[in-house]
Amino acid sequence: MKKHSISLEVNGTAHQLTIQPNKTLLDILRDELNMPETKYGCGTGECGACTVLVDDRKVINSCLTLAATMDGKSITTAAGLQTADGTLHPIQEAFVENAAVQCGYCTPGMVLKSVGLLKNNPNPSEDEIREWLEGNICRCTGYEKIVTAVQLAGKKMAQAGS
Amino acid sequence: MSEFRTVGKSEIKIDVKAKVTGRAVYAADINLPGTLHAKIVRCYEHAHAKVKSLDLSAAAKMPGVVKVFAPGDLTTKFYNQSVIDIMVSKDMRGMLGDIEDQKILTDHVKHYGDGIAAIVATSEEAAERASERIKVEYEPLPVYLNAAESSQEGAVQFTPQKPGNMAFELPEPAFPNNTLGWGDADEGFKEADIIVEDNFYTSKQKQAQMEPNSYIALYDDDGLLSCWTSTQMPKSVQPKIAKLFNLPMSRVRIIQTVVGGGFGARLGMVLEPHICALAMALPGRPIKVQSPREEDWLTSPSRHPGDYWMKMGFKKDGTPVACDAKFVNYKGGYYLDGSGVAFTTGGWVSGLYKFGALRYKGESYFTNQPVCGAYRGYGNPQTNFVLEQLVDRACHELNIDPVEWRKKWHKDVGDDGWCAGVPYASCALDEVLDEGAKAIDWKAKRERYAKQTGVKRRGVGVAVMVHTSGAMPMLLEHTVCSVRLNEDATAVVAFACSDMGQGSHTTLRQIAAETLGFPLEDVSLSVGDSNDAGYDIGAHASRTLYVGGGAVMAACKDALKQLLERAAMLLEANPDDLEIEDKQIFVKGSPDRKVAAAEICSGGVYPFLNPQTGAPESIPGQILGYSSFNPMHNSPPFGACFVELEVDTETGEIKLIEMVNGHDIGRAINPAVVEGQLEGGAQQGLGMALTEELYFDTDGKVLNNSFTDYKMLGPSDMPKITNIIIENPDPHGPFGAKSVGEAGLVAPVGATANAIYNAIGIQITELPITPEKILKALNEKRAN
Repeated sequence: MKKHSISLEVNGTAHQLTIQPNKTLLDILRDELNMPETKYGCGTGECGACTVLVDDRKVINSCLTLAATMDGKSITTAAGLQTADGTLHPIQEAFVENAAVQCGYCTPGMVLKSVGLLKNNPNPSEDEIREWLEGNICRCTGYEKIVTAVQLAGKKMAQAGS
Repeated sequence: MSEFRTVGKSEIKIDVKAKVTGRAVYAADINLPGTLHAKIVRCYEHAHAKVKSLDLSAAAKMPGVVKVFAPGDLTTKFYNQSVIDIMVSKDMRGMLGDIEDQKILTDHVKHYGDGIAAIVATSEEAAERASERIKVEYEPLPVYLNAAESSQEGAVQFTPQKPGNMAFELPEPAFPNNTLGWGDADEGFKEADIIVEDNFYTSKQKQAQMEPNSYIALYDDDGLLSCWTSTQMPKSVQPKIAKLFNLPMSRVRIIQTVVGGGFGARLGMVLEPHICALAMALPGRPIKVQSPREEDWLTSPSRHPGDYWMKMGFKKDGTPVACDAKFVNYKGGYYLDGSGVAFTTGGWVSGLYKFGALRYKGESYFTNQPVCGAYRGYGNPQTNFVLEQLVDRACHELNIDPVEWRKKWHKDVGDDGWCAGVPYASCALDEVLDEGAKAIDWKAKRERYAKQTGVKRRGVGVAVMVHTSGAMPMLLEHTVCSVRLNEDATAVVAFACSDMGQGSHTTLRQIAAETLGFPLEDVSLSVGDSNDAGYDIGAHASRTLYVGGGAVMAACKDALKQLLERAAMLLEANPDDLEIEDKQIFVKGSPDRKVAAAEICSGGVYPFLNPQTGAPESIPGQILGYSSFNPMHNSPPFGACFVELEVDTETGEIKLIEMVNGHDIGRAINPAVVEGQLEGGAQQGLGMALTEELYFDTDGKVLNNSFTDYKMLGPSDMPKITNIIIENPDPHGPFGAKSVGEAGLVAPVGATANAIYNAIGIQITELPITPEKILKALNEKRAN
């Protein structure tokens, strides 16, 4: 199989990678870059556990994305939301404070999906949050505390930004 | 102000920061040097067949393949992947008839996805590509997809140990006439003014925890077999694996990774036997298996589906004179938990209402479907769907308010619980019902919704439930805990209780800190490795906070007693006269007579001798508290759920509007954790009622083993939720706490069905209640 060369920035670090064309972004993150914070949940884009943030704006399922198509892109994972001194992103903080986490397996994807929402819609209604999160499955929480966490984080971030 | 320091507070969960950053380590995240990758090759051609020939030679020659395995290449010993067989005495096991009927790989395929071969290769991809080269010929066998088919005469036998493919019925010695209950049901029905009776079907629901199954095993140079797994029961998997491979337990180490959800799917073993067998076949190399998502529906146990018949008789005033019921479940291809759910489903009937007489029969039959085992509720949601609908049908016929009937006839303190001979010690169901009815505006809505004529019709329904906190006296409930005090008077609490995400490690830590009188941050936990802590049966039956909490309390009391005894010697006081505050130990009423806990703990760890006199300067010995705890009760929690919804009578669609989930749980050790259990349970209960079912074609092929086709309620499908937590401390639970883990799932099932009944006047008797079934029922009603 002919290999491809791509440059990929992940959490601020630039990587030059030579990859097989059939590898997904999820494969590369987990197996090549040893960054297991992005989770395999279904491999078919149905559950959102593998969600990552692209170019600080768009959220995608990394399991459905061929890594070869990501040349020149900047990727943020859940670990990358945290600052170097360990400070959590306001959404991560809100998930912690509102007990929006149980088994935690959907959480990195859920956090990134929520970041994507607030980047595009800083003041979402409850219905908008629920609709936005539809592609991300959580089996533990009934979504109640996740929705609350996203609402509170949105308000906090809007206040901090104004 | 609360009488407690940390109990009752929504403390931040222990591992939550690692989870929001993704740094929590699940089994799939572990990469040991030199890891090889395994693939279990499964039969996707047939749901019932004999393997006539299996040719692995071409697969073995594929690049990257290390070794290929046919059934005979690994141990062919039988095992039982679940644990009921080790939770009961030998006599009880014999009476229940629990058997071992599973093999790691099989030449008799009993369900779609049964494992027939294994490949170990240098990468997942290499193993996958090699699996395509396997040549296999099958002899198809008749496929049985329900109990009626598999029990017919001449049906292929699943195991010679269970003639007629009947895996289980209530055993005669303990249950005369193979029935559970009391009184004479036939006589009871003679007194009835009305009878309600129907046949129901309850569905094959899947836990669908978010973390797919992944395992690693290593059989190392010292002959130690280590297995990294997200099992709910590390200390039960350890003896099971030891037995299967004829190893002493000292040579088997189970390391529990962060568990990405369980809900019963990981009660016992799933692929632990497979990965351990492969590791032993390739000593020195870590072997990893990542089970694909679509396999989870096929390989880990589901809820037991089945046919549920029930009949109840009532007097005009509502007196329930008799109940007769039979649950015939479709066991799937193998025995595991064959006895459990068939019994408990009736247990939940017996625990709820004061029937004049009760007769319940429970039977399990093998079918060509993926296995059934434990799923949150363990028979209770099935019973809730049936029992609660028939109660509402009777209330309707008798013109009695369903809330009032339940308040009058539910069992209460002093009545026998789900297991005869263990009477309820606490019950606040009346308060739960009153508060819930108020919160949902029950009376006004019932009145309003009685007069609807439009296309979209609202309904509000109620259901109640009782569950359990651990499964004593039927099953073993034993947890060992040790508490070591460090020299700075901080504590390390060791136990093997599982946290599957529900927050039990956090709440157990709160119980430890509260009991010791230490700040929460001064208590750390030692968990996860089967060699680091004493016995614990594992997470099942909503027992972790209740039994684990009891064990933690007892061990902490033991450590505290030792600490206070040493303080008493130093202070020349009676230990009973001492109290601990901010880790200073005082004589009550004389705050000046005090000693720091750290001074005693340090003196125990560093018992120096005075260089001049040679006398000890402190009391020697590190303080170690210990408990080997078996609870005296099973303190059942009670719950009432109210659901309001809207039915579109043209499309059959159901929109959930509001849910009030009220529970009497004794005490909320951590209210946010309790709410999380109720809300998450509700998502699964409402899903069971409305959307969740594993579907088969006539050949037994599973049609919807994917998240797109196995529909679970998403964030926009969920109703507005109100939790009502009633704290009515139970005399047996730690700080009065009862369980909450399974409770939240149960009553939403019946309450949803009853809300639909209220909206359209029809009871749907088959789960899940899909728009198709609603429309069909509406059309039939119109036609009549």
